[in-house]
Amino acid sequence: MKLIPPFTYYKPETIEEAISLLDEFKEAKVIAGGTDLIPLIRDGKYTPQKMVDISFIDELNFVREEGGYIKIGAATTHSDILNSKILNEKTNVLVQAVKNLGSPQIRNLGTIGGNLCNASPAADTAPPLLVLEAELLIQGSKGERRIPVKDFFLGPGKTILKRNEILREIHIPSEVGKMKGVFLKLGRREAHTLSIVCTAVLLKADTEFEDIRIALGAVAPIPIRAKETESYLRGKEVTEKKIDEGTEIVKKEVKPITDVRGTKEYRTEMSKVFVKRAINKALKGEVECK
Amino acid sequence: MQVNTQEIIISFTLNGEKVVKNVQPNWTLLDLLRKKLRVRSPKEGCLRGDCGACTVLLNGKPVNSCLVLAPKVDGATIVTVEGLKGDPVFEALKETFAEKGAVQCGFCTPGMILSAKYLLDRKKNPTQEEIEEAIEGNLCRCTGYIKIVEAIKEAAKKLI
Amino acid sequence: MTETREVTAERGPFFFKRELGKEEGEYKLVGREIERPDAFSKIMGLTKFTADRLTEDVCFGKIVRSKYPHALIKRVIVDEALQIKGVLAVITAKDVPGENQIGYAIPDQPLLADKKVRYIGEPIAIVVAENEYAAEKGVEAVKVEYDPLPAVFDPLEALKPEAPKVHEKGNVALTTIIRKGDVEKGFKEADVVVENIYYTQRQEHAYLEPEAAIAYPEGDGIRVVLCTQSPFLVREFVSRVTGYSQSKIKVIGAPAGGAFGGKDDMGPMVASKAALAAIITKKPVAIILDKEETFVASNKRHPAIIRYKSGATKDGKLTAVEIEIIYETGAYANRSPFVLWRATVHSAGPYVVPNAKVDGKSVYTNKVFSGSFRGFGDPQIHFAAEQQMDELAEKLGIDPVEFRLRNVLKEGTRTVCNQLLEESVGMEETLKKVAEAANWKKKREELKKYRKGSKVRGIGVACAYHGISTSRGVPDWSAAAVLLNEDGTITYRSTITRLGQGSLIGHAKIVAEILDIPLEWVHIEEPDTSASPNARPTHGSRGLMTGGTAAADAALKLRRTLIKLASELLNCDEKNVKLENGKAFCALDPSNKIEFSELAKETYQRGYQPAYYGFYFVPRRYFDPETGLGVAYCVYTYIANIVEVEVDKETGEVKVLEAYTGADVGKAIDPGLIEGQMQGALAQGIGYAISEEVAFNDGKIINPNYTDYIIPTVKDVPRKVKVVIIEKPYSSTAFGAKGVAEAALIPTAPAIANAVAHATGVRVRNLPLTKEKVCFKLKEGKK
Repeated sequence: MKLIPPFTYYKPETIEEAISLLDEFKEAKVIAGGTDLIPLIRDGKYTPQKMVDISFIDELNFVREEGGYIKIGAATTHSDILNSKILNEKTNVLVQAVKNLGSPQIRNLGTIGGNLCNASPAADTAPPLLVLEAELLIQGSKGERRIPVKDFFLGPGKTILKRNEILREIHIPSEVGKMKGVFLKLGRREAHTLSIVCTAVLLKADTEFEDIRIALGAVAPIPIRAKETESYLRGKEVTEKKIDEGTEIVKKEVKPITDVRGTKEYRTEMSKVFVKRAINKALKGEVECK
Repeated sequence: MQVNTQEIIISFTLNGEKVVKNVQPNWTLLDLLRKKLRVRSPKEGCLRGDCGACTVLLNGKPVNSCLVLAPKVDGATIVTVEGLKGDPVFEALKETFAEKGAVQCGFCTPGMILSAKYLLDRKKNPTQEEIEEAIEGNLCRCTGYIKIVEAIKEAAKKLI
Repeated sequence: MTETREVTAERGPFFFKRELGKEEGEYKLVGREIERPDAFSKIMGLTKFTADRLTEDVCFGKIVRSKYPHALIKRVIVDEALQIKGVLAVITAKDVPGENQIGYAIPDQPLLADKKVRYIGEPIAIVVAENEYAAEKGVEAVKVEYDPLPAVFDPLEALKPEAPKVHEKGNVALTTIIRKGDVEKGFKEADVVVENIYYTQRQEHAYLEPEAAIAYPEGDGIRVVLCTQSPFLVREFVSRVTGYSQSKIKVIGAPAGGAFGGKDDMGPMVASKAALAAIITKKPVAIILDKEETFVASNKRHPAIIRYKSGATKDGKLTAVEIEIIYETGAYANRSPFVLWRATVHSAGPYVVPNAKVDGKSVYTNKVFSGSFRGFGDPQIHFAAEQQMDELAEKLGIDPVEFRLRNVLKEGTRTVCNQLLEESVGMEETLKKVAEAANWKKKREELKKYRKGSKVRGIGVACAYHGISTSRGVPDWSAAAVLLNEDGTITYRSTITRLGQGSLIGHAKIVAEILDIPLEWVHIEEPDTSASPNARPTHGSRGLMTGGTAAADAALKLRRTLIKLASELLNCDEKNVKLENGKAFCALDPSNKIEFSELAKETYQRGYQPAYYGFYFVPRRYFDPETGLGVAYCVYTYIANIVEVEVDKETGEVKVLEAYTGADVGKAIDPGLIEGQMQGALAQGIGYAISEEVAFNDGKIINPNYTDYIIPTVKDVPRKVKVVIIEKPYSSTAFGAKGVAEAALIPTAPAIANAVAHATGVRVRNLPLTKEKVCFKLKEGKK
């Protein structure tokens, strides 16, 4: 473990200021909550030269509904998401994910943007956003661009963000709120732990699966959608057998690795178990929220 | 915009008192409190947000002070147990932690108490689940948590 | 709460009742739960842990550690490091003025590796600098040239003749043996025989406070402040390494933020480095490990491989055990001789076994050294012994509690070492009371209903025993000092240390009870080798039992003096003088009295001795290492756990829903503190059973933090925990007390494994019972 080395610190108050700092300094790194970044620095995996702290930018910190979207500022903390009335009422699958992310102390510091930009394959906020088909608003010096969240991750620790861009907002289509969403996580203990497997399921079903979306984390280099499983189940009758058959496909869609948290065999098995459990839970309408 | 290459002057409220201090950007809030301001109740445990021994209240909420860069504290309010004398919730917790035997080595205790205080400030009659959730980020290797949970329950009763 | 027979020895409960002229019910402190006197200072963060004592003038020492698991050191180049601004010195093996040797039992471990490194993380040099940053840069700038050697990471591999040799003498650090009766005959008499191999993992203590020591040059000597379990042992090692005479070394035992055995082994190592750095630089130097260093380079619980064969008759009597024990000691022997002997002499569990053949081996590998950890070898062996008991019971169709009761050690029976147990043997009563509290019989049947669906439930039992203090023939004693101040307050000194367990609070209670004064009048001084008597280490669950008995000895001496003095002052016969509530009075006329403060003043004025040294010599034991037979420990603590678990058959998750933990503690000086120890041990035992394991990749620890080394949070411990305290007093100690902190952890893992077997029909003989392991084991099916 290392000491945090000296660096220059910048505290922009607007997005423009932040972008111009990133434009100016090639070696600059964005920090928000610091809950992922500080341990990375202490592990010697990253040595900062210049840090741009975006946690003071008010325009990055909000949850609001407008134009058919629920919009979340990237520097919104997990706690603020957990306590957001809009998110709890309209689409609490994200809230469920955040509820078991880290500890209260971590949730009070860590931000949703940080969780995404750190691009851990196990980032708990990614699977809900994948099934919600959220869009990300990315800001650079030459303007902004919107991309679907599925295109954001490139690999462990890698995203499509350019060096001088920041993730500005997360846009969740409002209408998905009508679907039932469930997030489940398997960790090595009951609380304050990283996922071995996590999954988010969003579905609309009565006697048959009218629509179903499934995403998983920690089972591939990036958080993934289980598209083949989804298409197998879509239009099928809601029966135990069909669910079992469908979720068997998940095992082929995941590409997990073996690490200290779990073997690839276990992750593969658990992918099915957790997707199945999430589907069943969503069907029963047993959704816990704040 | 502040551009700083070296030290930064920050001002914040620590336990009710205004503090103006030159800080290095690479100091954490924990460094600032322990090494520069001699506030020793937050403890240096894991330095990566896993153990909760360094917990302080930042703008009223518990955070791991080992993960907060000192400059981020500019304009903030910081509370540690040193600043809670007379606070009714804290006083109740102080009594019940002692009465119930919730303290063994004491290394996790100040942080644990802050997490519990944050809970009791918002919930008058917390459930078992709410208590567990409130302190899930504070590891204790001595007590098995049982007496800690009892103490928090007892403090809640006292406050009603 | 029963005493089975009159005990006539010197210090047991009857002695104290007689000496104090009180019935146990009249005790004001002993046996009663009190509020810890140190609670408020800990809550307020005022308790000064080692790192809290850092001042601006203290320099920092950081350690250059081996990057190889096994390599010859060709050269250590320090020039570049010395050029760094703020670096004061780089200390290597050649700079050690005394002996570069910190092997505890066998001289196999250098303080700083000189010719060879044997594990990743082994200390090679100390960089001392004015600040932490310069020290860190210095560490990075020290160049070590290695000649890598083939390494061995597995104890079974290490035992093969062609294996790389970790030490020149070979990879077996030591062996142990028990030969009792005739094992062959024993197995012939058996109607059922069970044989299995058990595996246990490395456990990290994971105390929140990292190891720390600050050394200050003082005059022609040195003062070292650190979190330790044995200030005098630290002094011995600092003396050995620095060449300073022991009288010039002052060691202060700061409160520890948890220790669990880890700081017993690490204290001398960290302190010796800090002292060396302070002597060489002539400046105060702190060495504070970071959490990763703690994980990488501190001692661990020995991993074990145990082949266990046991037999019993159809009426449920054990006939024989044959056990092979392999304890992996890692790169150095450290405490292994004691750990392995402890495991060996406890290998049959708390049962009567007429025939036993036990062979133990402690094996070197190129991994971080193993050492002391709460339970000290007993959790591993009981994990095997207690699952064997369940399997035998199952084969015999006898209830597991009933089967144990038919075999438990009782007064008048003999242990596997053939030690005759004469007194304070509470296994039977403890097991019965715990089973009763858990409603065992009913639950065991009822839970069979929870067999449908993916979540099933089961209940399991395990017993254990644990000898208190040091083992076999090794002499052991403790000491304490009581000083009566002129105002009537008491200054109490001992070098039993403050680890959170509260032993010193127990001592103070004993002193206050004997003098019949308020507890607040007894001031506990900080353990200090220059001022406190040598109480010997705070390990082996001996802190209260031996240290407290020494405290009682000192307090009784003072009491007798005060009675004599009061007799003179009150003109009342000594036998009628009473000490009560901080007063002395004549029983014939209670109004004829004198305040304690007045008594104190008169002690000095009339030339009575105001201070006493208390001493306790642990009853002699006898032991024959050739047969493993003899008197291994003076007394044992007995414990039983019953746990109810829920197993998720799909994920393999094991959740402990309820736990019942009971122990025969001799005499509970403070039931509240005991409860705290037992609950804490249970949580640590649950971690050991379910989630904790130090993981390696080619000798490198890959989970050196709490992110990936998984200890229980509040959500991982059962909500319902019932503690049962049984008192079978021991006649040799103050009020009959024994120790409990270690014993409490021992049966937890086997009780959980037994409960999982009850719930699922599948037995896991490999710790920890992680979700993944249980999941695949269940898929594999019943074996």
